[in-house]
Order: sequence, then structure tokens, then C-alpha cells
Amino acid sequence: MTEATIEVAGLRKRYGSTAALDGMTFTVGPGGVTGFVGPNGAGKSTTMRIILGLHTPDAGRALIGGRPYRSLRRPLSRVGALLDASAVHPARTGRNHLLWLAHSQGLGRRRVDEVGGQVGLTTAIGRRAGGYSLGMRQRLGIAAALLGDPPVLMLDEPFNGMDPEGIVWMRGFLRYLAGQGRAVLVSSHLMSELQDTADHVVVVGRGRVIADTSVADLVAGASGGRLTVRTLAPDAATRVLTAAGASVTGTGDGALAVHGLPAERVVTVLTAGAIPFSEVAPHRATLEEAYLQLTREAVEFRAPETRQAAR
Amino acid sequence: MSPGNGYAFWRLLHAEWTKFRSVRGWLIGTAVAALMIVLFAVLTGASAIGHDAPPVPIGPAGEPVSDSFYFLHQPLHGDGRITVAVTSLTTTIGGDRGHDATVPWAKVGLIIKAGTGPGTSYAAVMVTGGHGVRMQDDYLHDYAGQPGQVSAADPRWLRLTRSGDTITGEASTDGTHWSRLATVRLAGLPATVQAGLFVACPPSVQGRGTRTAAATAVFGHPDLQGQWPQGMWNGEQIGAGTATFGGYPPLPTGGAADIHGQRMSGGFAPSGDGFTMTGAGDIAPATRSDLPAAGVIGDLLFGTFPALIALCVVGALFITTEYRHTLIATTLTASPHRARVLAAKAIVLGCVTSLTSLPATALALPIGERIARAHGIYLFPVSTATAVRVGLGTAALLALTAVLALGVGTVLRRSATAVTTVVVALVLPHLLVLTPILPASAQRWLSLVTPDAAFAVQQTLTHYPQADSVYTPTNGYYPLGPWTGLAVLCGYAAVALALAAILLRRRDT
Amino acid sequence: MRPALHAEWTKLRTTAGPAWLLLASVTVTVALGAAVTAAITCPNRGCGLDPTRLSLTGIYLSQAPVAILAVLAISGEHSTGLISTTLTAIPHRPAVLTAKATILTLTVAASGGVAFLASLLVARAILPANGFTPAHGYPSLSLANGSTLRAYAGSVLYLVLIALLSLGIGATVRDSAAAIGTVLGLLYLPPILALSIDNPHWQRLLQQAAPMSAGLAIQTTTAPSTAPIGPWAGLAVLAAWAAGAFLTGTLVLQRRDT
Repeated sequence: MTEATIEVAGLRKRYGSTAALDGMTFTVGPGGVTGFVGPNGAGKSTTMRIILGLHTPDAGRALIGGRPYRSLRRPLSRVGALLDASAVHPARTGRNHLLWLAHSQGLGRRRVDEVGGQVGLTTAIGRRAGGYSLGMRQRLGIAAALLGDPPVLMLDEPFNGMDPEGIVWMRGFLRYLAGQGRAVLVSSHLMSELQDTADHVVVVGRGRVIADTSVADLVAGASGGRLTVRTLAPDAATRVLTAAGASVTGTGDGALAVHGLPAERVVTVLTAGAIPFSEVAPHRATLEEAYLQLTREAVEFRAPETRQAAR
Repeated sequence: MSPGNGYAFWRLLHAEWTKFRSVRGWLIGTAVAALMIVLFAVLTGASAIGHDAPPVPIGPAGEPVSDSFYFLHQPLHGDGRITVAVTSLTTTIGGDRGHDATVPWAKVGLIIKAGTGPGTSYAAVMVTGGHGVRMQDDYLHDYAGQPGQVSAADPRWLRLTRSGDTITGEASTDGTHWSRLATVRLAGLPATVQAGLFVACPPSVQGRGTRTAAATAVFGHPDLQGQWPQGMWNGEQIGAGTATFGGYPPLPTGGAADIHGQRMSGGFAPSGDGFTMTGAGDIAPATRSDLPAAGVIGDLLFGTFPALIALCVVGALFITTEYRHTLIATTLTASPHRARVLAAKAIVLGCVTSLTSLPATALALPIGERIARAHGIYLFPVSTATAVRVGLGTAALLALTAVLALGVGTVLRRSATAVTTVVVALVLPHLLVLTPILPASAQRWLSLVTPDAAFAVQQTLTHYPQADSVYTPTNGYYPLGPWTGLAVLCGYAAVALALAAILLRRRDT
Repeated sequence: MRPALHAEWTKLRTTAGPAWLLLASVTVTVALGAAVTAAITCPNRGCGLDPTRLSLTGIYLSQAPVAILAVLAISGEHSTGLISTTLTAIPHRPAVLTAKATILTLTVAASGGVAFLASLLVARAILPANGFTPAHGYPSLSLANGSTLRAYAGSVLYLVLIALLSLGIGATVRDSAAAIGTVLGLLYLPPILALSIDNPHWQRLLQQAAPMSAGLAIQTTTAPSTAPIGPWAGLAVLAAWAAGAFLTGTLVLQRRDT
């Protein structure tokens, strides 16, 4: 087992009568960004806190490079974590916050300035952390996670509070870190944030893993033989395509979503019916759609969705 | 103010009350405070041991008294007059090495008493160690006569005249020109009374303690007139077995007195045509230092202190948690008038804390009293009105403390610092006032100007000018009156709230 | 352990709060000591006062900022959420608390040493003018005197133990307001309770077992035979309290989720 792994097996945790974790199991390997996705309350933060030895599970284990976190010496050189970016002393400057953390790992002041520069906090680092914006605090948190140059990074909702520019930066930065061979686990409750960033996703709901798959497979599965047809005569097109055995639904923006027929057959049917069309293309699902499709089964997630539909 | 403002404030109160009752920790803190008051009343009562304590003499008005003295007396029937000259009064203080200290309320003179039992009705005219000639009756009443000390060159003549149930006391410096001190009525005075010469000497008050003392007086021939025939004089120590009798000092032994050595004793001997008499004890209302084993109801309310700390924590957190979780921004957005928000918080906090503390004190006092009495402890009696004042005042003290903590919490914005400031301001002075480390003047000053002054609301003892005692807060005597003391705390709370209101308006949140 | 110590030291010195609290502690020690020594007089031989103890009166007040400092060292991290970061950096809980305890011990001992030394100098300057002269049986206060040295050095130890006690309670109770309330209650209330109960047996027991009354016995220089507890035994009682609180705090930090 390499150093750059997170291994979570059969985690269970109850808080009173609610089960926060119900057999959470997954593994994060090196050299990629793994998205840790699920609705609020699905158990993402609890899992991360258990990995870091902050919470004790009722059952199961969580290992970093094959060892429990609490047994690590100089743990920040094994795992860098960002949990709650607002957990800083408001009166301490960003630099001093990083400095005490560096000292806890036997590191010096030079490393502090290095990571500060890496996350782009060069000017703000000398100011009191109490005056930071949420985005700046996220950068400070990332800098703290990078202090020990760890092979494993674990970031809880790092996109929270970031402006669009910051989000773009964060995506590039995460890719860059993974490119150095690190294992990067990034949690988010918004799948779209991980588009073009994550190679792999672990989708969770109600304290357990729903899907543990590569992003490519997930998107392909969700796209599943669907075609998009653009036409000026949607009613006629629907009629002829249904007659040919396809199922057709309107997508709302004037296009039609067609299932059950290959693209060549669709073109033939439309041409035969003399129905004008401007586009027949295979549909490529967004990560968001794939995620929604996956989590639709999770009861916990269905409730807020129906409420949204009723609005 | 617009007409809607009253309603708006009512809504604000409602909002703050909802905030308060929805945090479980605060409700627990408030309940703990109330519980502590009751719990410690029970514990204090139950920990007391008073069995086998000597009896406490009770005066005609129901108050505890000292009634111990050396009495040279005979029974006398009907009306009459007794006259005597006093030519010398000296005092001996136990453990004193030779300097001639006087005991200001050493008393020698004439007394007419309903009987020799402790606590019985009397009237007396006397020469004192430092307060000149006095007439006193029934322990509580004192009338001043000519000042100055007595000596062989400057003697005093004293006389008491009984007529029915009234007694007149007179004094003279030459035996011919008499001045009347007072005429008093002793209700229910029997036809036959015990009358004669007495010598009493209360313990000498020195700093925070007392030293036993005895007085020796030289009397001329006691002259009886009216229906009173000359008879045999009997010498007797009155009240020797009572709780308020401090005993005799050790015999002076030339050099340093040995406090474990042989003690002096009361007695009389003929000298010339009169008597030399030695006696100790006192005829006066009892003070706390006369009754070291007795309790006051304020002792039962020790629970006020833990309650006060719990309510300080609640009061400070009521505002500081808003700062910590930046809830203050939400609060001030919902109602931008800063002072009004603070007022609403103070009112809610004050009402909740006083409404929980009041039943607690109302329960604690009678329960603690009952348990303490069952353990044989003598408690200084209090009227119902006084007991109600103590209960109400303690609840008010606790509510004011919580409000003070709210104000200080708003100013400091840090709960730990705020709680410490208020607790230290109230509890530390109390501790320093109670423990005998600081000089008495410093202690007096502390209980005047610090918030600790508020504990005066729990005092139930009376400061008697005609009895020397250790009148310190340690013994339950505060320099301020109950409500004045509470007003000091009120002032602190008001200043803290005013400062808080100003800062809330000035500061960015 | 070294890195944990270094980290805690950096934490302590990079916010202004601890420095202010230590400064407050020193100031009140000296100021109260000066006020009390200025207020007392000894007009003749054998006035029954203990000038050493009186010059150290400031400790009654100066222990409060020390307690705040120690409580905030741990419960302050709970309230900001910083504790998670600390325990992520140093997962060994006892090491975290031990590092905090060590740093507190050093800083409180240093500031306490300064404070009491200043109190001693002030007392030496004031006392002779108020009648505390060799002629009245009071030689000048000096650390060469065994019992005076014990009182002064013991007071420094007392403050250190108060800090450790507060740290343990802070780790156990977590909420800073509740923790400081508990500490102050534990310190100030038993002596008051001892004075308000009538049972001499319980009174003595309270004075022997309560952290403050027992711990401050170290300041006694006169008549130790009548005292409820001897100087070192008293300090040992306080040390037991501090150790108990520290162990409980470690256990709670170890067992509870953060």
C-alpha cells in the first residue's frame, strides 16, 4: 500500500437516534482528484473528521497510507486537511496561524512563506485573520493543508465562498496537486463544482456510498443513447419518431430528447417525413445531471427535490 | 416616539424571551442557580451542631440578651427607694499586659429586677467605664446622664425609686443635688422584686476579637427607704450558665498573664460601710460575638454565591454568544435601535432570574431554618417582614448580578473575561471582608463601595449603640443598610448597561 | 513533544490576549500588595500581623487573570473551532495538553516571579514606615528568611497550579464562560462556605480540602501550629486538585469527539 491512499471501511456512527454513517466504504488512490459528493447531511464531514481522528466511529476503520491517523508522527506531512476555514483565531495574522502549525510539525518560517505564496496570499498573510473574506480564509486553509507537503490532501467544501476567479484558480490548483502524484479528496454538495476537476467521484447519501466510479463512466452512463434533435416542427417530428418506435420528450428549449433509435435511423425517419431539422446530435450529460439521476433514488434527497418542483 | 413603539418594544421582549428559552444551557444554568440556593440552605442547616449548647436568655421583647452580672441583692416588696455612692470603677482585661485599658460599657450601680432568672425585666442606673452615668431598662433602652469617669475624688451617687410599675433613675455628683435620668414603666413587674448593687463587665473588644474582662467597683453604704427595710445582702453571679456569658478573665499574675491559668471570680467584701464588688458579664441585647454558636438566616443563603456565578455565566453568554456567532448582526438588523435591544435583554434576563430565584429563597429560608433549629442551633430571630426582605432582596441581588454580567459582557464581548470581572467584583470583596487578613478599615471600605455592598440585603442583626461588639460584616453587621447596599449594586449594573448602550451604538458590529 | 511545545508557544505569543492577561496579573499583584501594605500599621510590639502574607494579598485577585488565560488556552480553541486544527496537527491528545501546560507553567511562573519580586520590593519600601521595624519584632522582609522565601516562592507555585487546574477544567467543560465560572466557584466559594457554616469539624475539613484555602497556606509565616493545614501539605492539596483536573481534561479530550 502506498503512502498516498485513504482507506475507509465500514464506518458507522450514530448521533442519538440519527445514523450519520451507515457502512461508509471507499478508497482514494494517488495521482487524481476524487470528488466526495452528496447532499448536505449525507455524512461527508463526519467521514472526514473520522479519517482525521477527530471523531471516533462506532464501527469500522479509516486509514491513511495504511495507518490510523492518531498514530501518525508529524501527521501534516502525511495528510493535509481543510475542514472549517473559519476556524482561525480572529486576532492572529494569517502568517502566525501558519507559523504555529509549521512549528507543530518541526517546520520553519520559510515553509510558511512558500505555501502562502502558493495559494496567492502574499499580501494578506500579514493581516489579522478576523478580517479575511471567506475566500481568503479558504486559501489560508489550503495553505495550512499544504504546509507539510503531504501526499494526501483532504478538502471539505473548498469552493465555498469563492468568487468565480477563485473557483477557476482552485480547479487548476487541485489538478496541479494531483498531477504531482498526490491523492486529493474534495468534498462538495454541488456536483457542478467538480466538473472538469475530478477524475473519480464517490457519491454518498444517507451515510453510505451510492456510487464509486470514474467521472467518464458516470457521464457515459447518464448520457445512455440519448439524442438531441432540433427542428422547427417539433409536433410533426414527435409524431413520426414515435411512430418509428422512439420515445420523445421536449427539453423546453425547442429541442427534443429522443431515446430508443440510433442517430442514422432518426435522420432517415425525419428526412422521409420531410421534416426540416437543424441538428441531430448525441446528448452529453453534465456531471450534475448524472449526479441527480444517481441520487434520485435516495429518499433523503427526493424530499427537497419534490418541494422544489412544487414551488 | 411613534404610537407603534410600545408594541414594537413588546415584540422585541418577546423575541429576546424566545432566544433565552430556546438555549437549553441557559435554562439549566438558571435552574442550577435556584437549586443551589435551596440545596445549600439544607446543607448549612444540616451541618450545624447545636445540641448541648447552653440556653440563650431571651429578653421581654423576644430578643436574645446578655443577662449575667454579679448581684448583691435582697427581695424587696412594694414601693421604695435605694441609693448608693460609687467611688471607684476599675477593669481587668484578660491577657493584657499592664496597660490600663478601660472597658467602655463596664457597668456598676443599682438595679431593680423582676427576678434572678436570665432575661427577666429590669431597670438600672449605673456608672460606666467610658460612657458616663446611664439609666437602662429591659436591655434595649438606654438614657444618658452625666459624662465623665468616677473616682474617689469625684464620686457619683445613684438612686432608683419604685412606684408601682414605674421606676425612676437619678444621679448626683454630691449626694444632694439630683438630676433625673428617666422614668420607665416595666410592665408586669411583680410586687416583690430583687434589688441591689450590680457589677457587670462585657468582654473587651480588641480588633476583630474580644477578651474577657472583669470590673471591680467600690460602693458606699446602700440606703433603703420607703416600704423597703434594711435586710441581708446576698451575693450571687447571675446568668453563669447562659450562652451569652463570656466568663471571667484569668487572674493577673504580675508579668504576662497566663490565659490557661486560674480565672478571676465574682464576689463582694465589706469596705468601710459599703462594699467592694467584682463582677463580669453584661446586661444588654446580645450581639453576634456574644453568641458565637448562633446563626443568622443570612448564613442559610450561602447558595447565593454558586447561584450568582451560574447566573453570571448565563447573563454574560446571553450577549457574548451573539458576538461569537455574529448573531448580533441579525439581532441589530431585526431591531436597529441598540439601546432598546439591550433594554429588552436586560428586562428578560432580570425577570427570568428574579422569578426563578424568588421561589428558591422563599423555599430555602423556612426549610433551612427548620433544619437548623432541629439541630439545636439558635437563630437570631427575625420578623416576617425582615425575612421577606431577605428573600426578596436576595432574588433582586441575583437578578442584578445577571444584568450586570449582561452589561459587562456587552462591553467586553468576551464571556470568560466578563464572567470573571463580575464574579471577582462580587465574590472576592466578600471573601476579603469575611476572612481576617485585611485591616478592618479596608474591609469596611470594601463593603461600602464594591458590589459586595449588596449583601447587606441579607443582614438581619441590629447594631446596638449601647453594646460594644465586633460589628463587622464577618459577624453579619454591614456598614450600609439593606436597600442602600442593594442600591450600590444597582448603580454598578446601571453604569455597565449605560456604557454597553453607548458602545453598542458607537461600535461597528 | 518539542514541536508541540514550539507550536503552543507560537500560539501564545501571536495573540495579544495572553500578554494583557499576564500584565494584568502582575499589575494587580503589585498594586493590591502595595495598597494593603500601605494601609496596615504596627504601632507597638506584637501587633499580630503577618506582613509577608499581607504583602502577598494581591494573589487573591491576580489568580483570576491567570485562570482566564489557562481556561482560554483550551476552551478558546473550542469556541473558534481551532481545536480541530490543533488535533489534526498533533493527534496525540496528551501531548497537546501537556504542551499547553508546560507553556502555561513557564509563562505564569515567569510573570508570577516578576510580580512577587516587585511586591517584595514595594513591601520592603513601605512596611518600615508603618511601624514594621525590628524594634516591633519585624525584621525587614528578606528572601534569606526561610519562611519568607517559602511564602514568596510558594506563591509562584500556587499561581502555576491554579493555571494547571484551570486548564484541566477548561478541557473538561469546553465552554469558556462555564469553565471560568467553575474555576472561580471552586476557588472562591469554599472559603466563604467555611465561614458561614457553624460546624467546626466541617469548617476545618473545608479549609484543608479546598484548593484556595489549602494552597494559600504556603503564605503562612506565623503560627503554623494553629493553621488547619501546613504550608507544603496545603500546596500538595492544590497540586492534587490540579493533577485531577488535568487528568480529567486529558481523558475528555481523548474520548470525546471534537
